[in-house]
Amino acid sequence: MAAHSAAATAVSALAPPRSWRWFAGWGLACALLAWSWQGADIRPLDLFRESGNMAEFSRDFFPPNFRDWRLYAEEMVITIHIAVWGTVLAIICAIPFGLLSAENIAPWWIHQPVRRLMDASRAINEMVFAMLFVVAVGLGPFAGVLALWVHTTGVLAKLFAEAVEAIDPQPVEGIRATGANVLEEICFGVIPQVMPLWISYALYRFESNVRSATVVGMVGAGGIGVVLWDVIRSFQYAETCAIMIMVIITVSVLDLASARIRKTCI
Amino acid sequence: MASIRISSLTKTFRNTRRALDDVSLEFASGEMVALIGASGSGKSTLLRHISGLLVADGASEDCCIEVDGRPIQRGGRLVRDVRRLRASIGFVFQQFNLVGRLSVITNVLVGAAHRMPLWRTLLCRFTAEEKKLALDALTRVGIGEIAWQRASTLSGGQQQRAAIARALVQRARLILADEPIASLDPESSRRVMNTLAEINRRDGTTVIVSLHQVEIALVYCPRVIALKDGRVMYDGPAATLSSERLREIYGSDLDTMLAPENITTASPPAVPVLAPINLNAGVFAGNSA
Repeated sequence: MAAHSAAATAVSALAPPRSWRWFAGWGLACALLAWSWQGADIRPLDLFRESGNMAEFSRDFFPPNFRDWRLYAEEMVITIHIAVWGTVLAIICAIPFGLLSAENIAPWWIHQPVRRLMDASRAINEMVFAMLFVVAVGLGPFAGVLALWVHTTGVLAKLFAEAVEAIDPQPVEGIRATGANVLEEICFGVIPQVMPLWISYALYRFESNVRSATVVGMVGAGGIGVVLWDVIRSFQYAETCAIMIMVIITVSVLDLASARIRKTCI
Repeated sequence: MASIRISSLTKTFRNTRRALDDVSLEFASGEMVALIGASGSGKSTLLRHISGLLVADGASEDCCIEVDGRPIQRGGRLVRDVRRLRASIGFVFQQFNLVGRLSVITNVLVGAAHRMPLWRTLLCRFTAEEKKLALDALTRVGIGEIAWQRASTLSGGQQQRAAIARALVQRARLILADEPIASLDPESSRRVMNTLAEINRRDGTTVIVSLHQVEIALVYCPRVIALKDGRVMYDGPAATLSSERLREIYGSDLDTMLAPENITTASPPAVPVLAPINLNAGVFAGNSA
């Protein structure tokens, strides 16, 4: 036993002593958490104090009221339509933008500006774009499509570019050595290599666009969100619950389906 | 059918190491030449310059590489129509450089892309004649039956023969093979070397092949060029390249350039070309038919 602890001491003596950076790092992390606690107005005690109110509030949700289920289903289908077109248009734009923002395809004076443009369209949330497009093209699903399109293009272009930057350069060189031009190099050397990843990213973004499409409706951009916002504002919680259940089912089914498709593609 | 003239080619990587030092060489059309040397001696660098995948140092203005009398690079700059010149040069890589997710025949058809209009290439609309050409090339190198498989499912030797088929579909008049057998087992190595030798003999295609193993160079190639530290140490017939001369050039490095089974025999057989092809007579059965 004594020998064992002596060995442990010897080992810990060998390890380098903790530097001031270690303490500074943890101190900084703790300070950040404390500061954010204040800013975010976190009141955990309220969860207990108001528990009676909350129980009563959640009782209003049950049983869910599916009386208008036809309307909900119709709007849910429109929500999916918004997601489909928002994603498809984004994929079409993300292919050239993604290639142009890849370091190994485009020179810096092209990929840097394109990347900044994509950063900008990614930085603004779909909801903000939806509000702007509602003003531009009027209330309705088209505003939602435009909002998803712009935001998703930014996201997919970045993901596509990262896939392109990770390719094996040797097959591309093999294509180049046959006298192919840049477009042929991309078409035969780059695209086949990134295809599985691109499909997987695009499907993932479709899933998350279905989720986003349910909320862009809240600012008037069409789909189930419009109905959801109406019933919440008029305190019809049983209807709200019914809509939420339908959203959960739809999103889960699409997630499962796209996971299945992804598996067959790779 | 293609001749090459290289004059005073110098290449420095990142201003530190001189990979090629004032190399001047000429190749007549229809030759089969081996480039030998230890790793890092400049074999790959030389081949990559000939097809314009690398450019020489800009400092020397008189540096020039011509293929069939047409310059491909001069004074450290590629010529404008380098792609058209590359199309007549088949390049075979050590790592095959096929696109693994495409079928073998699509990989081979890429060799025909330079003769096709761009829209047809980009949409993968290959004509029946082009496909026939590709299938014939694959049959000629002995892998016609696996044309529709994904390239990644092939063995190394099969992939390398697919890469040679791509050069055939290119109608390349010059094939540059950069360590084509360095990643292959002995049996696949023999098949690949036999294929290259057959193309050289039957089509008169100029073949320049860089090799790590001296014996194979001596067996297949009438002319051998020995490189060391980016300089040409020997350029002449394989028959007069004795083991003493090799020992003189490479010193202890020579041991790494001899295949293990031949180390015991010490002197590699200086047989002129194509003697051991009967090791593998079945390979070309498809051609005589």
